[in-house]
Amino acid sequence: MDDQNLPDDETLVRRTQNGDTRAFDLLWQKYSPRIYSLIYNMTANHDDASDLLLEVFAKAYRSINGFRGKSSFYTWIHAIAVNMTINFVKKRGRRFQMSLDDLDANVQNDKEFIDLTSTNTPVREVDLAELQHRLNEAMMKLSVEHRAVVTMFDIQGMPHAEIAKILGIPEATVRSRLFYAHRQLQNYLEEFRKK
Amino acid sequence: MMLDEMQLKKLLRLKRLEQPPPGYFDRALSEFHRRQREELLRRSAIQIWFERFVSRMWGFRVPTYAYGAAFGAFVVAATIIGSGVWAPFTQTVETASDAPKIGPGPAGLELSGNRLALSGNLDWSKFDRSPASPRVVPTLRPSQTALPRYVLDGRPASYEASFSF
Repeated sequence: MDDQNLPDDETLVRRTQNGDTRAFDLLWQKYSPRIYSLIYNMTANHDDASDLLLEVFAKAYRSINGFRGKSSFYTWIHAIAVNMTINFVKKRGRRFQMSLDDLDANVQNDKEFIDLTSTNTPVREVDLAELQHRLNEAMMKLSVEHRAVVTMFDIQGMPHAEIAKILGIPEATVRSRLFYAHRQLQNYLEEFRKK
Repeated sequence: MMLDEMQLKKLLRLKRLEQPPPGYFDRALSEFHRRQREELLRRSAIQIWFERFVSRMWGFRVPTYAYGAAFGAFVVAATIIGSGVWAPFTQTVETASDAPKIGPGPAGLELSGNRLALSGNLDWSKFDRSPASPRVVPTLRPSQTALPRYVLDGRPASYEASFSF
């Protein structure tokens, strides 16, 4: 079933609460790619992202009877994912291996990629794969809280207000974290360009 | 030339293209179902019930009006009890009228006003048992040889304060 033809979240949640497991599968279909992307960009590892994705949905399934609809299901499941990933990354500490090295082959046809590499920019001067690798390294140098904000805002395109709801912090904090994270990323990539 | 804000944002947006291989999410859903079945078999019914109960408790919210109602009930109860209209503990508290009556003291023990005074011809045998206190308590018997002792209402002459500056 296409995402556009799926029933709305409220209906799917109510059906799941009434014991319809098929409704939860539809919620999985709708949200698993976004949740995966969120976890993946925060952990920088495919295997960890796969495990955490399953754990997040298992937790959501177990807790869905307590979901009262005060926020949207989208916000609720993102909050579960962010909290579980932050806890995971803090426990894991420095012990991790990056596996963010498989950029989609379609990137060569992506409009933003063409824009970035066709003009006279610093990006043009370096190999894309290496740049991607450096960007991921720079991301990993951010604290997990800053990485979460960058992932949701810059990669997933969420508005500040939505991120604030998910993280349970004021919007001003989201903005300041973004500002600080961008500055850090720019500094790190600048150092790389000078080498 | 430093990487500006817009270029950084474009670079970050490229990360959207980092996707798992096709068919990954279908396989992951099958794995999710398998784990759910395993978990159901592994856990006892009590564990499952408890987990659902806890998750319901987390979702439970006290309605706002409940705080007002609770405060109102407290004020009404405090007013009723405080004004003495209703005193729930009167039966358990021993009042002066319920206290056991103490009979007249032994001969020689005179009650003048609210003060006790000892006179010389005290009948000590009356101190052995008293009808007001049926329990046996140790009593002092007067020695035939000892002189009667009196407590002086004042400081002894040898008294010196332990702290003198």
